[in-house]
Parts: sequence; C-alpha cells; structure tokens
Amino acid sequence: MLRAQEETIIFTPQWTAQAQFAGYYVAESKGFYREAGVNVRIEHPSSTQPAMTRLRNNQCQATTLQLCQAMEIVDGGIPLVNILQTSMNNAMVIVSARGKDPLTQKGARVGIWSVGFGQLAICMSIQDHLDYEWVRFAQNTNLFVAGALDATLAMSYNEYYQLVQAGIQMTDKNVYRFCDHGYNVQEDGVYMSRDYYESHKDLAKRFAQASRKGWEWAAEHPEEALEIVMEYVDREHIATNIVLQRLMLQEVLRLQVDRESGEREFRMRPDMVQLASHLMVENHMLGREITYKELSYE
Amino acid sequence: MNRILSYIRRKLSVRVSLWVVIFAAIIFIAALSFLFYQSREAVRQEAVSRATQILDKTSLRVESILNRVEVASEMTEWLVLRHPEQADSMFVYSRGMLLNNPDFYNCSIAFEPYYFKDRGRYFSAYSKHDADGIRTIQGGSDNYQYFYMDWYLMPKLLDKPCWTEPYMDLDVPTNTVETVTSYCQAIKDRDGKVIGVINTSLSLNWLSHTISAVKPYPNSYSIMIGRGGTYFVHPDSTKITRQSIFTQTMEKPDSSLSALGHAMTRGEEGMMQMQLNGEKSFIFYKPLGQTGCSMAIVCPERDIFGGFDRLRRTVMIIVLAGLLLMLYFFIRIITRELSPLRRLADEAETIASGQFDAVLPDFRRTDEIGQLSHSFGNMQQSLVRYIGQLKDTTAQKASIERDLHIANEIQMGMLPKVFPSYPEREDVQIYASLAPAKEVGGDLFDFYFRDGKLFFCIGDVSGKGVPASLFMAVTRSVFRTVSAHESLPDRVMTNLNKTIAEINDSLMFVTLFVGVLDLQTGKMQYCNAGHDEPLLAGAGVGTLPCDANIPVGVDPTWNYSLQEADIYPRTTIFLFTDGLTEAENASHELFKIERVRETAEASLSRHEQAPHQLIDAMTAAVHEFVGDAQQSDDLTMMGIQFRPGA
Repeated sequence: MLRAQEETIIFTPQWTAQAQFAGYYVAESKGFYREAGVNVRIEHPSSTQPAMTRLRNNQCQATTLQLCQAMEIVDGGIPLVNILQTSMNNAMVIVSARGKDPLTQKGARVGIWSVGFGQLAICMSIQDHLDYEWVRFAQNTNLFVAGALDATLAMSYNEYYQLVQAGIQMTDKNVYRFCDHGYNVQEDGVYMSRDYYESHKDLAKRFAQASRKGWEWAAEHPEEALEIVMEYVDREHIATNIVLQRLMLQEVLRLQVDRESGEREFRMRPDMVQLASHLMVENHMLGREITYKELSYE
Repeated sequence: MNRILSYIRRKLSVRVSLWVVIFAAIIFIAALSFLFYQSREAVRQEAVSRATQILDKTSLRVESILNRVEVASEMTEWLVLRHPEQADSMFVYSRGMLLNNPDFYNCSIAFEPYYFKDRGRYFSAYSKHDADGIRTIQGGSDNYQYFYMDWYLMPKLLDKPCWTEPYMDLDVPTNTVETVTSYCQAIKDRDGKVIGVINTSLSLNWLSHTISAVKPYPNSYSIMIGRGGTYFVHPDSTKITRQSIFTQTMEKPDSSLSALGHAMTRGEEGMMQMQLNGEKSFIFYKPLGQTGCSMAIVCPERDIFGGFDRLRRTVMIIVLAGLLLMLYFFIRIITRELSPLRRLADEAETIASGQFDAVLPDFRRTDEIGQLSHSFGNMQQSLVRYIGQLKDTTAQKASIERDLHIANEIQMGMLPKVFPSYPEREDVQIYASLAPAKEVGGDLFDFYFRDGKLFFCIGDVSGKGVPASLFMAVTRSVFRTVSAHESLPDRVMTNLNKTIAEINDSLMFVTLFVGVLDLQTGKMQYCNAGHDEPLLAGAGVGTLPCDANIPVGVDPTWNYSLQEADIYPRTTIFLFTDGLTEAENASHELFKIERVRETAEASLSRHEQAPHQLIDAMTAAVHEFVGDAQQSDDLTMMGIQFRPGA
C-alpha cells in the first residue's frame, strides 16, 4: 500500500485536454503505465491552477513544458529535469492579418500568450529589428480574428488550425515559421523537479518509458489514438472538435520526427539547448546560460 | 425496338397520332415550364421576403436589448469618470448596473494594474446575480489576470467600445459556466489615457432561445456564429462552441459553405442557395447589431417549394395521363377513319391483278376519302375503257406491221438482190447492199444493161419510212422508164426530174446519181443530182468530180449537166448514200468521208478492190464504228468494177 502510494505520479500537461498530449492518454488508457508499474493520474491544469503552480506546490510530480519555458524556470531558481523530450522541432508561427508578410510589419501589434510561450518570438523581434508591440492574451485567437491585432503567435498544431477554422486564409506569405528561420528549438518535454527526480529515478524512468511507448503507439495507430484523445476532451468538456484534434495529432506527431535523422528520437538535442540558451541570454531573457547537463537526467 | 419502329413505320394512324401527341407535349412542356418557372420565382420571392422580415424582426429584438446594454455602459462610464479616484464607488456602480437591468448577466468595472495604488495590482468591481440577489466582489487575482482577457484588451486595442466574441464565463465562487457575450468600453481619463474597462455581459441563453425559436418552415432552423465562424446557436448542440462554420471545410473543401462563412463573418446581409448537409437549402443571413455575430435561417428547398413541387407533380401526372389517353384515342379514331383506305387498297390490289371488273365498296361519304373512292371508281372505268382501246390499237398495229413487212419485201424486190447479178458477164462486176433504218427505206439503187452499156443509179429520198419508200419506188420506176429510151444521163435526169416534180405534191426530193458506162470503151457518162460523189478505187482512191446540181423533184425546169470520165480497167466505182458518211456512234460522232476513204485505201492496199470486198470491208468498218448505237439512216452502197478483157 505504501509502495503504491509512493509510486503514484500525478502528471499535469501544460494545457487543457487535447491531442498535444495524445501519447500520455494512450499510455494511460492502454495500460502502459500500469504495465510499467507506475500509477499515473493525469490531472489537467485549471485557470486557477496552471501546471507550473501545481508542480511548485507539489500538487503534481510531472508536467510538460516547452524547452524555453523550462530554462526560464531553472534560471528563476527551480531546478528541473527533462525526463522525456517529445518535440524535435519548433511549432511556433506568426500569422499576419490581411495577407501581409510578418517580416515587413515593423512595430506591429502581435499577440503573445500571457503564460509565456513566446520567448523565441521576442528574441526574433529584437534580432530582426522588428520591434513588435507584444499584446499578452490569456488564450485563443479572438483578438486577432476581431481585427484588434496585426499579427499573432500561434502553434502550428493548435492556434494555427483554430485560425483556419475561423476562416483566416493561410498563405506562404502571411505565415512565418520560426523553424525555417534559424529558430528551430525543440519544445514539449516532460519535466520533474530535480529534487523529486533524484529521489524517484527509477519511477521517473519507467514513467518516461511508458509515456514514450504511448507516443510510439499513437504514431502507429493515429485514428485509435484520436478516439482516446476525444474521450479525454469530452470528459474535460473542452470546446473543440475531432477535425481540429485530428489535424493537431498529425502535426504534433510530425514535429516529433527529427529533421536530420528522420526519426522519433525522444531526446533533447544539446545543440538546440545551446541555441535557445544563447538566444535568451543575448536578449536578456535569461540571467545566465542554462546547459544541457543542467536539464538532462543523465 | 426495331419491331416497334417498324410497326410505327407501317401504321399511319400510329405515326400521325404520335406526331400530334409529340407536338401537343412540346406545347404543354413549353407552357408549363414557363408557368412553373414563374410560380417558382413567386414562391422564392415570397420565401425571401418572409425570411427577410423574420430576420429583421429578430435582429431588431436583439438590437433593442444590445442597445440597452450599450446605453447602460455609457451611463456607467459617465458615473465612473465623475469620481475615478474612489475605488469603492466602483462596486456601487457595478452593482447598480445589475439592479437596474436584471436581465444583464454580470458587470465588471476593471482597472489597469496598480491604478489604485492601495488596492495592489488587481482591481475589478465585479457584480453578478446569484441565488441571494446580487453578489459584488473584487474579481482580479493572480489566477484571474483580467487585463489579459479579450474583454479587457479589445476596447483598448480597437480604441472603441465593442462586443466580444461569445465565451464561456467561469464563475469561480459557484464554479458555474455560462456562455456570454460582453460589451466592453474603455474608460479614459481627461488625458485620453485608458484607466480601465467596463464590461457588461449578457447570457447567450436568451439570445439562443430567441434565435432558435425562429422557424418559418417546418424543417428550417436557425444558426448563429461569431466573428470567427464559431457556432453559438445550432440545432446540433454538439457543434455549439466546438465547431465553426469552416470546420467541415477543413477536411473536405466546400467553396459555397466557405463563401457563406466569409460573408457572415464579414457582417454582410444576404441570401445564398447551396447544398447544406446533403440538402439543397436557402440560407438567409444578417449580422446581429455590433456584436460581430451573424444569424442565419436555413430553409430547406423541400420546405419552401414543397407545396409547389406537389402541385407540379400532380399537374405533370395529369398532363402525362392526358397525353397517353390522347394518343390512345387518336390511334383509335384515325384507324377507324382510315379503314376505308385499307379496303380501297385491297380492291386496288385486286384490280392490279387484272380483275378490272372488281366491285368497289360504296362508302357513301363526301369527305376526301369519299372523293378518293369516287375517283378510284372513275379510274377503274377509264382503265377498262382504255384497255379496250389499247386492244384495238394493238390489233391495228399488228396489221400495219404486217403490211409494212410486205411493203419491205416488195421494195426489196424492186432492187437487184442477187449478186453477182450477171454472172455471165466478165467485163463488169456489180455488188450492192441496202440496209434501211426502218421497216422500209428511202434509198435506192438500180442497174441494167442496154446497148452494150451499163445503166445505173443510186439515190437517197429525203425523209424515211413509208413516204420515202413510196417516193423511192416512184423514182426507181421513172428511172427505168426514162432510161429505156434516153441514153444520156443528163437527159435521163432532166426527164426524170420533170416527171417527178410534177407529181411531187408532198414536196419530197431525191438526191440521185445516174451513170452510163460504155463497157467497150470504159467511158462513163454521168449526171449527179446532189448526191454524194462516188469514189474510184483503182491505182489509188479518188473522188469522181461532180457538178453542183439540185436534187430531183425540187425544180422541174432544172437542166442537169452531163459529165464524162474514163474508167480504167479494174477500177471500182464505189457509190454510196449519206447513210455511210453520217453513220453515228454512241457519242454522236459521224463516220465521215475520211473514214470511207481510209477504209477503201486499206482495202486497196490488200488488193481487195472487188465490189463485194470493198462493200464488206466498208460494212465491217461502219459496224465497228457505230457499235451498239441505233442505225440512224438508210445505208446503201454499190460497187461497179470495170474489167474489160477479164
């Protein structure tokens, strides 16, 4: 009983239920966690309890974070360990209104998530002397659709499709993809606080392996994985639909394939960690360089 | 199919009926198409005006409430700006808003971070109805950073009051969720700087009920979408807030649905006709005030045109049945009307088989068929009469033919017909042939010996047939008579001419060549009355020169000239009528004198200048030239070879 209690991991993805977390839902519902001897409970964040707050308050033991976010947190004094890196590519894009090229819109009002996913975009705005006026918003794309913004940041698997669903025309011209302009920094990974990791290495390892298995299964059975995702979506009463989730799953799975090796590597790339760290230090978003070793479980 | 076609081809009644029915069908189709088109347009217009009225009415109802919110919000702003520094007043204003307007969902008067220094980063006077009345609290916190919310950002960014896209509002104390839309207005201080935002929300429930209740037709329904196309009212509740009008076009492009979505999200008003969820529908849409939302009424065509389609189907069935009945009766009537023709045809067959006395039916009708029957009877009688006459004529013709045959025999009997005519004579050889173009001909030739001389003639009477033959017989008799006591050819010819011209009432004439050959000396005296000049075939082929005299029988006073020529031994005098030179082939080419000469020369070169050889060669040449063409004129040839001491 004690052992079972000890071995329970509460896992909080950084957003509400969606196909971005398909691998974890698959691992839970297909029993991969159980097979690995890990008792996992997936609890989504709420507006009053964001993922990082839950981790800090020890309300959960693992969460997903983007690499840049994790670096900021580590820089802020909370050591984290990346136990599983899922994303191998950057998904962030800038979508510009009225078919304009984002690179020509100096000083434009650009929407950015208030919870802080847009570190690379801020770096790019400074480096390319675009001097965007950042407008922080809580979530969704309404401000952009209502015409209150000149451009908005979007994730290629989420807000991008929400914008398409809102009737926004996407062209090669009005979409700027960070991954194609020297900012290909990997994103989602599963993190634990270093303290917790040090005392639960084996558990963390089994959790990570079962999660990876979930993702591999989802890649092989995308339609079944989508069904599982929709169960979680419905359970959480998320205002989305199967079309968006299918597109999201396809894109998230695509982003997990390393451009160079062509494989799902499930590892942090030291060069990407270094690139992100350099960019963020250079633009005063980190007080110091954060190294691969600091984040790695090895 | 072929059997049907052949049946139609055989039956006049079916064919005529079909034509009539097809023609009637074309007229019906044209008239009904026009009628249906006009009626359909009228129904469509009616539907458009009905839907437009309903849309206008609903839109007005919605706008009246929205206006109330907008006015109340402006009032509140005015109140706030009277004492912008008194934070606690904001609770009173926010509460007052709901007290005065019980149908509003909530109201926040939120301020910029640290606007009230003593209140910290967040200050939002938030009021909401709850079970016990109105709850008023300070709503901002680390977990609800209102200044990142759409409702706070939009009026600031757009620099004007506006309605937000509907959103799910979570009431934290009661943990209840409500779909609301908010009217937000930035509060600006005297310097024009934004110090906060007034947010007044309306529950979408009442709006949904108002819009869902719009149902102009039994199967019609209403939808409402936001700026981004998200459904907020839809009969399929699973789509509400989860899908947008563009969602289904993402996987399966649908240009018309996309066009509708864009038109609605652009805030346009109008009507579209398209296939929606597998059903042809009319969609009427109109924006809802300044909310950015747009409502649409979807009316399936089967509803709008249901009554019209039923009417059209019934009319079409009646017309179709009518046309079929028409076809049936037409065939029956025309068959009955045409039945006498059938009988007439049978009778005609009987008559055609030779039974001319067959009795024709009496139809006792005065119409075209009666007239036809009457004419048929007349024709039958005429036929009988005509055939009787034909029999008589045929009998007469047979008798004439018999007479002609006899006449031919008599005519031929007048001419020498046994060759050689005088086998005992070695000093001369004579050969002749006559082929009349008709039963009897107008050509003649004759010869006889008197006083050691050969008297001969050849002639051609103008015209052909019996008159020519009679004229020829006369000419030949007169020649014999005159030449019996006259020895000079010109005298013979002049006398002969006088005699014939006197009895020539029918104005006929004859070209004639008369010659007298002294068989002792070989001297030939001759006279030519317009006849073809004879050829002389001896050492070579030459033409006997002849004076120009007119034919016999034209002028009784004419004096014919005498000519003389020496005929060398073995020379053959070749006499002929124009039947030889004018023999025609199928291409209407003439044999001509050149060919006559060529044939004679060819014969001569073969040493075949004896009269019968020359005439045979000439006959063969003419036959070959003429081929299968009919003989156009009498053809007469005569050869006389002088053979002294043979």
